[in-house]
Amino acid sequence: MTKVNIMKKMPEKVIIPLKQHDGTACDPLVKKGDMVCEGQKIGECGVYNSASVHSSVSGEVISIEEAPHPNGNKVNSVIIQLSEEPECVDFNPKDVQDSELADFIKDAGIVEHYGFPTHMVLKPEGKKIDVVLVNATSSEWIGGHYDTPSQYSSQMLDALKLLMRASGASKGAIVLRNDDLESINAFDGLNYDGKPITVAPLVGKRKINYYFKDMSSDIVVVSQEHIYGKKILDLFTYNVTGRKVSFGCVPTDVGVAICSVKSAKALYDAVNAGKPYIETVVSVSGKVNNPQKILVKIGTTFKDVIEECGGYIGEPGKLIANGSITGVAQYTDEVPVSKTTTSIYVQSADEVVRGESVDCTHCARCVDVCPVNLIPSRIAAMSDQGRFDECRQMHIMNCVECGRCAAVCPSKIHVLQLIKYAKNSIEKAYEDLAPKESPANLKLGCGCSGGE
Amino acid sequence: MTFTISAPPHRKEAITFKKMTWAKVIALMPVVLLSVYLFGLPAIGLVIASILAAVVTEVAIQKAFNQKITIDDGSTILIGLMVAMIIPPEAPLWIPMIGSVFAIGIGKHAFGGIGSYVFNPVLAAWVFLSLAWWSIMSPLSYPQTTALSDLILETGAGHIAGVSPLALLIPGCILILLRYVEWRIPVSFFLTTILLAVLVGDSLSYVVLGVVLFGILFLATDTSSSPVTKNGRVIYGIVCGVLVVVYGHFANYVDAIFYGLFLANCVSSLIDNNTLPESYGTETFLQRKYKRILSKVPFKDRLEVLLND
Repeated sequence: MTKVNIMKKMPEKVIIPLKQHDGTACDPLVKKGDMVCEGQKIGECGVYNSASVHSSVSGEVISIEEAPHPNGNKVNSVIIQLSEEPECVDFNPKDVQDSELADFIKDAGIVEHYGFPTHMVLKPEGKKIDVVLVNATSSEWIGGHYDTPSQYSSQMLDALKLLMRASGASKGAIVLRNDDLESINAFDGLNYDGKPITVAPLVGKRKINYYFKDMSSDIVVVSQEHIYGKKILDLFTYNVTGRKVSFGCVPTDVGVAICSVKSAKALYDAVNAGKPYIETVVSVSGKVNNPQKILVKIGTTFKDVIEECGGYIGEPGKLIANGSITGVAQYTDEVPVSKTTTSIYVQSADEVVRGESVDCTHCARCVDVCPVNLIPSRIAAMSDQGRFDECRQMHIMNCVECGRCAAVCPSKIHVLQLIKYAKNSIEKAYEDLAPKESPANLKLGCGCSGGE
Repeated sequence: MTFTISAPPHRKEAITFKKMTWAKVIALMPVVLLSVYLFGLPAIGLVIASILAAVVTEVAIQKAFNQKITIDDGSTILIGLMVAMIIPPEAPLWIPMIGSVFAIGIGKHAFGGIGSYVFNPVLAAWVFLSLAWWSIMSPLSYPQTTALSDLILETGAGHIAGVSPLALLIPGCILILLRYVEWRIPVSFFLTTILLAVLVGDSLSYVVLGVVLFGILFLATDTSSSPVTKNGRVIYGIVCGVLVVVYGHFANYVDAIFYGLFLANCVSSLIDNNTLPESYGTETFLQRKYKRILSKVPFKDRLEVLLND
């Protein structure tokens, strides 16, 4: 079990971005010179596609200004100078009704690590959710620090129940990685609500519905192969439930809500301890003296986190937020940890990739590694020539942006960028095409039937 | 403190195109050295003349068209070396030179350079030389095809590529294990050839020649002239095998391997375009039929588990 350390030295100041998800930015509730305490709400927005922001420390607001955000842009942020004596809002367990849970989640500021506010995943407007999945395939133990594996597993199941209550779904599942024996052992044989839990593998045609029936239970724990990527949700939905998410749709269109371990843990904490989403676990790796998983307050700068991990080894060349394959390279280390930050990776100057691309030789290494059966080399060539329609015919929208094609390419072609470029262009074209008010019987966009 | 900003992925595999071609050149070295031992100095003369002609042609063409000179990526040298290897050792020195000039000038650059050519330049050069100077291009000695064990170890006859199958097989397999060469084409090609040859009644000692292994491991796996799709590569290997056995059965397997592969190159893009993978989750033809039949079977509730996805 990976040990999660708690950050001991408090930073001097924190930068809390007022927008930590894909929705609308929050309006600040404080102004310069105000004193705030830990857990106090400092940003809120009335719109549904937004989650509140809380102060993770106590101190004085020294400014509200545009500050760097780990996604590469500048975002309006509250900068707080820490005070000597920490003050804290009273955290009390809350008894929340099912109908209020969605608003409660919004209020607690819980967002998914891929950038969606959790309440929008669980209660999307105009759609009905019938299955809730907790995706533990990528971030199994980082949701918090647990004393024992069984604590982790029973807490996850409690959290899943909460998520099901919030969404009104009747069925729920936790999806583990099949090479993550630690988690599988934690769940296997656990007695939950008088029923023994068995971890079932997802093989071939045996999707989740089979196990619901087989175990005559509404909650199952299943395991599948490790897949990763930025746009993984559609493939994940298909792998687990067998429901195909068509172009322009999201998993919620077919009635599936996908939450991560982090947000499940955050919801559990919010209900049972009354604590809003103010701290997160970040794994620090690469060229730092003491790589580890560390629990930090949201808003702590990367610089402080890395200092806590022993500082850089030598002169750093590249600082990457969220993974070495799909992450975003940062131009400064004065950038805060946000709710969507899962890892920090440091490269030394000579590790930085500086390959010059040469012509494609059709070696097909990209075809062999693609998890969704694409021909990345051909799609990249088409995208380079601006033939986006042909890209679409080759199922480019299935791409999960895992970046493996670009990583294995011997010619060092920027396959991932070319694919992203084509995908963005196609998405833009569809946005332009969609009518504001549907005047005719022409229907564009999502063609999902909802469920089976 | 300055940080580099660039787009993901931030880590890439160390393998490059340059490494892959040079690995192939090194893998061919044992055979070349063995041929020098068996054929004497004419063999090394062939190799040097061929590589020199290839390099000079490449530089001349890239200078003339203001392109970047790409000698160091090794592909020119590989083509020059492979041209020399499929020429009889007793041929005069101008034969490999003309072959290399044709391979680089017409086979490679006329089609657009690396990655764009339709036919393997080496095979194109072989076809050209064979049509032009047939008498010089047929070797004085063909491999003695008596016992399989002799053949695998050493023959010392035919082309440079055919002197010792074992010296080709081991480096070739190492390349496949290192994933410098992909495995689908060689495996399906080899199995098809063996199976068909046994079926039509050819003795295996006629089939497992050094040249045939050279074709399977080094010519057929040339990346530009073979398909990219997973199924397409298997089909390509099978097509190669069928063509080689068809020509080999009625003529000899030495010429069959070159001509069969040359013809298989013609259909490789056709295979590619017809084996493009479907979107994930799309049922294949057989799955659709199976589901359709199952849906018509009575006593549906018994099959519910089968149908339930």
